[in-house]
Amino acid sequence: MNKITTKDMTVIINTMADIIIENEVPFCELDSAAGDGDFGMSLAKGFKQLKKEWDELDFDDIGAFLKSCSMVIMEHCGGASGPIWGSAFRAAAKAAGNVEEIGLAELAEIMQAAVVGIQKTGERSFGRGAVVGDKTLIDALVPAADSLSASADAGEELLSAMQKAAAAAVAGAESTKLIAAKMGRAGTVGDRSIGYPDAGAFGLGVIFTGIVNSLS
Amino acid sequence: MKKIINTPETFVIEMCKGLIKAHPELDFIEKFKVVKKKEINTNKVSLISGGGSGHEPAHAGFVGKGMLDAAVCGDIFASPSIKQVYTAITKTESKKGTLLIIKNYSGDCMNFNEAAALAREDDIDVDAVYVNDDIAVKDSLYTVGRRGVAGTVFVHKIAGAAAEEGRSLAEVKAVANKTIQNVRSIGFALTSCTVPAKGTPTFELGADEMEYGVGIHGEPGRQRMPVAKADDLAAAMVSQIDEDMSIAGAEVAVMINGFGGSPLQELYLFNNSVSAEIENKGAKIYKTLVGNFMTSIDMAGASVTVLKLDSELKALLDAEVNTPALKN
Repeated sequence: MNKITTKDMTVIINTMADIIIENEVPFCELDSAAGDGDFGMSLAKGFKQLKKEWDELDFDDIGAFLKSCSMVIMEHCGGASGPIWGSAFRAAAKAAGNVEEIGLAELAEIMQAAVVGIQKTGERSFGRGAVVGDKTLIDALVPAADSLSASADAGEELLSAMQKAAAAAVAGAESTKLIAAKMGRAGTVGDRSIGYPDAGAFGLGVIFTGIVNSLS
Repeated sequence: MKKIINTPETFVIEMCKGLIKAHPELDFIEKFKVVKKKEINTNKVSLISGGGSGHEPAHAGFVGKGMLDAAVCGDIFASPSIKQVYTAITKTESKKGTLLIIKNYSGDCMNFNEAAALAREDDIDVDAVYVNDDIAVKDSLYTVGRRGVAGTVFVHKIAGAAAEEGRSLAEVKAVANKTIQNVRSIGFALTSCTVPAKGTPTFELGADEMEYGVGIHGEPGRQRMPVAKADDLAAAMVSQIDEDMSIAGAEVAVMINGFGGSPLQELYLFNNSVSAEIENKGAKIYKTLVGNFMTSIDMAGASVTVLKLDSELKALLDAEVNTPALKN
């Protein structure tokens, strides 16, 4: 495997939806340690709706597919997850463009665009977007995107690059245990979030790992 | 946990439908879970609030004359979506503009602000205020700020009265912000709440423990501690409010807000303790509200809110109000 086609992308997103739905309760439990306990439910709600509306999504190309996903996710994920995950998919769609096949370099660009998309949404509401160290899902997404970019520069294989990126996301999520939240779900409780990972970052680690395992 | 329920999925919609049946002066837009006044006065600023459900009567119970024009209901403890908020804005559009009263949580801020941006593209004049009255968690330059809790009800009341007077959007926003600057709250929980979809308590408390400085979604607060007597709790809570915002010599409005699982007899008893402490601090109590206004589903416990008043805020607090959950 050295390319991701539109069909591959639909399989990846479908796997992602399955992982999110399977983990609804564990993700909620993670969020109840320092947040308000709605993360798993809010995220699963959007991805359940995505599966429900699956046949109505746009399968023309990778960009169109991701954009049609973004519309459902933005509307049906509850809480902050709608704007955050919706804007990530929207930015990813725009970066992908109307192509039916991408390689590792393009995948890295798409993931970097998702990071920027989330940060811009945060900036509109809070004056700044989250960065690594704020204890949000950015703590997992940025290392994963950077790992993909580094692998692309090094000319690595697509699948092994994705495995490394998933491991980087898991490590990033793990590192959130040690820090106090400055933004996001636990941003109001600060120091009392120390000892618990950020639920969004941890969730991304689980999702990326699951996707990579399904491809391997 | 036993609840009066059909299914968790239909919980919020069935609750809103029941509210509308008891209050036919209100409308419910089911698709977007918006509770609004049937008659929108387009010559006054429209006021919209909302957020996750689970805080009843907030916010739908405060839709009516002298308070909100619409409340947007999210799922339990989850912000409503951008489209839901956008629908509330467009369905209550007024010639004088719209003020969003947002409790300061990331999800609410993002969804309400993105919706406001969409509405501005339609040339609707929308502005927003952020309520952040909970002193339980220290604010710093690095956090997203304090949480919005029961003080929001005072903001609804005062901004609502100002809007009814025909004030401009900028004027209503200014008096809403003045209220926010002068209101402080702190709460405690004796039990956790139980979210219907999860069915089990969000956090565990020992039989002799309480959570001090708790949030209204069962989030942690300042500390876990042994259950304290009402008088001791009142002394600690009023002192902390006074440290954050000195009340000596001030006239104040007080709200003893139940979180949903404590009986009124305990709330009145607690008011007896709290009012004595407030007077001890040299403040004069102008008005007291005791009841369940900003709940956390079925959590036992209460919060104390103190609002410092001037003549403008007093007049607006006394103005006519007629909503399901607050009347005069």
